[in-house]
Amino acid sequence: MAINPIIVRRQAVNALVLVAATLSTAFGLFWLAWILWTTASKGAAALKPALFTQMTPPPGSDGGLLNAFAGSFVMIVMAVVIGTPIGVLAGTYLAEFARKTRAGAAIRFVNDILLSAPSIVIGLFVYQLAVRPFRHFSGYAGAIALAMILLPVVVRTSDEALQLVPDPMREAAVALGLPRWKITTKVVYRAASTGILTGVLLALARISGETAPLLFTALNNQYWTNDFSGPVANVPVVIFEYAMSPSDTWHALAWAGALIITLFVVALGILTRIAFRQRHRHG
Amino acid sequence: MSVASDAFGGPAPPGRSRADLSSEKTHILGDRVFQGLTGAMAGLVFLVLAGAALAMLWGGMLAFRTFGARFIYSADWDAVNHRFGALVPIYGTVVSSAIAILIAVPISFGIAIFLTELAPRWLRGPVGAAIELLAAVPSIIYGMWGLFVFVPFVASDIEPWMSGHLGVLPIVGPLFSGPPIGIGMMTAGIILGIMVIPFITAVMRDVFGAVPRELKESAVALGATTWEVVAKVSLPYTRTAVVGAIFLGLGRALGETMAVTFVLGNAHDFSLSLFMPGNSIAAAIANEFTEADSPIYVSSLIALGFLLFVVTFIVLALAKLMLVRLGQGEGRQA
Amino acid sequence: MDDRVNTLGDQPIVLDEPGGRRAKIEMRNLSFFYGKHRALKDVSAEFPENTISAIIGPSGCGKSTLLRTVNGMFELYPGQRAQGEILIDGEEVLSKRYSRARLRRNVGMVFQKPTPFVLSIYENIAFPVRHYERLSRSEMDERVERALTQAALWEEVRDKLKRSALALSGGQQQRLCIARTLAVRPQVLLLDEPTSALDPISTAKIEELLTQLARQLTVLIVTHNLQQAARISQKVIFMLAGEVIEAGDREELFVNPKDSRTSDYVTGRFG
Repeated sequence: MAINPIIVRRQAVNALVLVAATLSTAFGLFWLAWILWTTASKGAAALKPALFTQMTPPPGSDGGLLNAFAGSFVMIVMAVVIGTPIGVLAGTYLAEFARKTRAGAAIRFVNDILLSAPSIVIGLFVYQLAVRPFRHFSGYAGAIALAMILLPVVVRTSDEALQLVPDPMREAAVALGLPRWKITTKVVYRAASTGILTGVLLALARISGETAPLLFTALNNQYWTNDFSGPVANVPVVIFEYAMSPSDTWHALAWAGALIITLFVVALGILTRIAFRQRHRHG
Repeated sequence: MSVASDAFGGPAPPGRSRADLSSEKTHILGDRVFQGLTGAMAGLVFLVLAGAALAMLWGGMLAFRTFGARFIYSADWDAVNHRFGALVPIYGTVVSSAIAILIAVPISFGIAIFLTELAPRWLRGPVGAAIELLAAVPSIIYGMWGLFVFVPFVASDIEPWMSGHLGVLPIVGPLFSGPPIGIGMMTAGIILGIMVIPFITAVMRDVFGAVPRELKESAVALGATTWEVVAKVSLPYTRTAVVGAIFLGLGRALGETMAVTFVLGNAHDFSLSLFMPGNSIAAAIANEFTEADSPIYVSSLIALGFLLFVVTFIVLALAKLMLVRLGQGEGRQA
Repeated sequence: MDDRVNTLGDQPIVLDEPGGRRAKIEMRNLSFFYGKHRALKDVSAEFPENTISAIIGPSGCGKSTLLRTVNGMFELYPGQRAQGEILIDGEEVLSKRYSRARLRRNVGMVFQKPTPFVLSIYENIAFPVRHYERLSRSEMDERVERALTQAALWEEVRDKLKRSALALSGGQQQRLCIARTLAVRPQVLLLDEPTSALDPISTAKIEELLTQLARQLTVLIVTHNLQQAARISQKVIFMLAGEVIEAGDREELFVNPKDSRTSDYVTGRFG
């Protein structure tokens, strides 16, 4: 049987493409590995107990990141507390009352744009809103900025999680004579709880690493402060400042902070995956 | 255990009961309040977007009024004499994003093919998760790695090689010549490209997965190779969505701040060479905002932010429109 | 079956021919529209009380649509609308004067796929009841037990009431849904292919349960399973393309149908 040259060529092209695809994947994974390895090794080298016991030091000296961790923690918690209820309620509106309406489509459209919009834009917005009028940077402004970044993620994931709840469950509740608001809050939320929680965790992971919005709102603070109406130390901005400086001790601290953030984000990612799998087993 | 008790002897007595009447009232009022409340929260989303646009327009007003249209094409950036122009940051944003897309699109395409057509089932999950991890890594980490690890590498290995081999070519030569300092447009473009890969990949994966199995199977039945199925069936079917995915990646690249701020150099001079430091809108704002000491300076930076907002809005809106047909939004998030 | 169920009420009810019973539900000139599409065409039918009435017909004939008009389910969806009259105990239920809350309390519905709430078994039943009545803890316990007993589920779950309802098997979940519906004390029970997703043993349990329940309630069941209709119903209504072709006693319809289309369907000439 003669070998058909056309088929051979097509198969060669196919093989080439598949090799290229594999190489592309290797390419992508290579960078991931390099970045994670760098963060892990440089960060680990800089880990020390002082990180959690001392404040951020002045230039040239050594210290820790305690105030930065605390500031970040509080602002993130505030952002979650502000943004989650709004986001879940907005997602509820979309999933329960506006699945196919034009208003719903418009809101989803805007929400998705907000989701991918540059966070620096949010930072400037909150600067105009909450920093400029008061003439100083503040932790509250930082929390608001983070909440605005959290919001579209929670809206979208809540919308999707609620839509996944099968309609017959809602109909069964209607058939029992329950009012819409009770159905949504007592039946549908319960059924979608894992999905909504996963969304909040995803949003949390996202805002943990955000720097730009904090740059124009909470800025930074060398010291510990209990006053959130003034600038507050936070990990991302500290990393930014320290990394851009010429000081080696500051660089080390920056790497330590970078490692902590990365570990946190990766841990959240794993957590959401576990929660996801549990939901499938449950339902 | 009592037998027939009156509490439950059978169907409820007919006719209205107090319970029914009060239920009715809670019904209507509660439902209206609930719908109103959730609707208001949804409206807040609009407000945030509109508010952001307006706030930046307001803040940039001074600069727009002072410089007029010149603001867009002027390459001035003089803090002392209060003369600002957006050309260099705009140019830098465009060029670094273009480099990013040039790198990210073929790679993402390859990864999407790998994950949907090539990889065995057990590999898809972990590899897919790993690629999504690229998106989860905060951009400041990219910036740090870029500055401390990648930049020296580029300066010592990549740029010299490129100068020697590409810098001498006609036409494209000037792009690749210049001192190998590492910090510059090309480095920023490469890092941006890596950052953007997971977003484009995620959408492409979902989009290729949405191609009806029967379509692909009929091509295979006719003897098509895997690649031919992708090229002749999947791609044409998802053409618009693929472009949408690219636009999505572009939108992300345009607005990326921290990774670029570390490695772009914050220079305000215009330069053709990709090796030279430059500036991007986001990087300029991030680098200079806290030191801006005059109202016109601050206003110029905010005006830059407004321009960025408008451009990314348009790009992302186009992306959404292109992805709507196949019912895709962002693809799966990390 | 649990003896207690049989003696609820005064004395065991003898099942006589449905022809002797008064109509619990009457439909007059009922038409239904999904947008512009007319799914029910001028349907008139009667459903006697304390009877199991089966609504049969091929896919798409409108039987589920018909069922869902009785408790106003369609009102959830814009674009769906009903014209005509539905009377329960002589009262017009489609009119605005008949409150929805009252309608849904009087008419219960069970769906094809079991729809337990993501709550404990106990809460699945207590929660809807709580919406209507304020009961003490012991009263509620009793109500839950009654409902589960009525649904032939009590013995199987009595010691795991606090466990999630999702841990039950499909057949158990469906019986839980029936118990939940019974707990608010309806007069009418609507079932939309309740056993089509279940195994034969669960199906048999539920069929037995329905036969018992028919002594106190009026049961309407949509089913595509002709054997099921023949097993448990007393009255059968055959529908085709949105119209009622024939309605009558079970024996009549299956053995001696008046319309040729009915006999074609029940003998399996089309499905």
